[in-house]
Amino acid sequence: MIDLLCSQLGEAVQSAEQVGDELRVRLPASSLMAAARLCKEHGYNYPCDLTAVDTRSELVMVYRLISLNSGQQVVLSVGLPRSGARVPTLSGVYGAAEWLEREAFDLFGVRFEGHPDLRRILLTDDWEGHPLLK
Amino acid sequence: MLQQSILTEHVTLNMGPQHPSTHGVLRLELTLEGEVVVDCRPVIGYLHRGVEKIGEARTYPQFLPYTDRLDYLSSASNNAAYVLAVEKLMGLEVPERAKYLRVIALELNRIASHLVFLATFGNDLAATTAFLYAIRERELIMDLFEMWVGARLTQSTFKLGGVSDDVPEGFVQQARDFCRLLPGRVDEYDRLLTGNRIFEARTRGVGLLPPEVALDYACSGPTLRGSGVAFDLRRAAPYEMYDRLDFDVVTHSSCDCLGRYLVRMQEMRQSVRILQQCLDQLPEGEVRAKVGRVVKPPAGEAYGRVESPRGEFGCYVVSDGGTSPRRVRLRAPSFFHLAVLPQMLRGWKVGDVVAILGSIDIVLGEVDR
Repeated sequence: MIDLLCSQLGEAVQSAEQVGDELRVRLPASSLMAAARLCKEHGYNYPCDLTAVDTRSELVMVYRLISLNSGQQVVLSVGLPRSGARVPTLSGVYGAAEWLEREAFDLFGVRFEGHPDLRRILLTDDWEGHPLLK
Repeated sequence: MLQQSILTEHVTLNMGPQHPSTHGVLRLELTLEGEVVVDCRPVIGYLHRGVEKIGEARTYPQFLPYTDRLDYLSSASNNAAYVLAVEKLMGLEVPERAKYLRVIALELNRIASHLVFLATFGNDLAATTAFLYAIRERELIMDLFEMWVGARLTQSTFKLGGVSDDVPEGFVQQARDFCRLLPGRVDEYDRLLTGNRIFEARTRGVGLLPPEVALDYACSGPTLRGSGVAFDLRRAAPYEMYDRLDFDVVTHSSCDCLGRYLVRMQEMRQSVRILQQCLDQLPEGEVRAKVGRVVKPPAGEAYGRVESPRGEFGCYVVSDGGTSPRRVRLRAPSFFHLAVLPQMLRGWKVGDVVAILGSIDIVLGEVDR
């Protein structure tokens, strides 16, 4: 998978390393969709989790995709600016992304471009701000 | 001739947030055509306590009791996901006896949680007797935990590096007695519910969840196995000492409410098998590794995942080398199962909503966090 992602996405792969059963790949937002589709085509059929981490210098989106056949995990991470973060939605690739992206929008303020229903999910509609930002 | 067309406009009906069958504070915004569900929008967040944010302001050991209160029907699996992630970060090895005791806590919790499922699912479908029977047996498990750690529901059995206490004198015998008792009681539930015509009519073929949809929405646990996918983290990615235990991963290919119910019924029997093996093989020794008073895992990230009674409960911990995590992300299986619920409800009648919602066995404490 590591070779496949590197050959298909070429220069776009910023870093890739295997840690235990996790393949950690860092990408720019523009290559995220292509990488996710590639993973799905190659057996990563279980979109385990999707979340964000605020490192104070940037906001990192973390996508954990798992192949139930091999047990391998691909962890895609995308660095975004802390304010006005935008990233394409994966809800067209994985069904589970729809609610997970709503949660990341709600708590971190990430805008998912092309999302069919980007509303707050855990907090009330009139909440101001995004509480998980540091 | 009087000609009058009947209006067939869609009606929006709010089910919850204070409806007995929603098992907590959940609101389902149902769009109905007559009695048939055209669409459904689950509205969540009523129980949001900001647990992930709290995690960033507590030290590593301090955060542990907060995890008990997520899936409050199975506090041990929440504990497990968190401590597994932190122990992975710290590179901490847990004593052998503690691993066995952890599995005992996890499986007792699984049985207790499935008993609550059985109780409430029966109750939702007007089989009130099942409620009384299942809660009676669950009480025995609560007693075991009270004897062991003092608490009954939010047990915090797990601690970083092991378990909070060794089991007291008499615990093993009482647990053995429970293991001997339960299979007969499950037979009793089977006679009461499984073959019951009304129960079957309400569940067989109702609320279909095809395996490809279940996977696309990252369903797990009995919800996924009820659709015929044999994915169980105890087998697929063993933690503690599950790799040394003999048990079957139960699946059912009917994809309906009955299938999901049958998976849980069989899982109780499998959990008894696991418990018996643990009680037989329980080694002597320490129950907690040495962990300093100040826990400072090195910078990095780790993902701990366990098979909770509801599915994959995950905990993603990011450390910056300090005494509190930079980020604690809690992956709750019920959240994913609620996301796929609208697809299971469309085309079914209002009365079936109760059965279908009951069959995915959600706990709002972990959905809303």
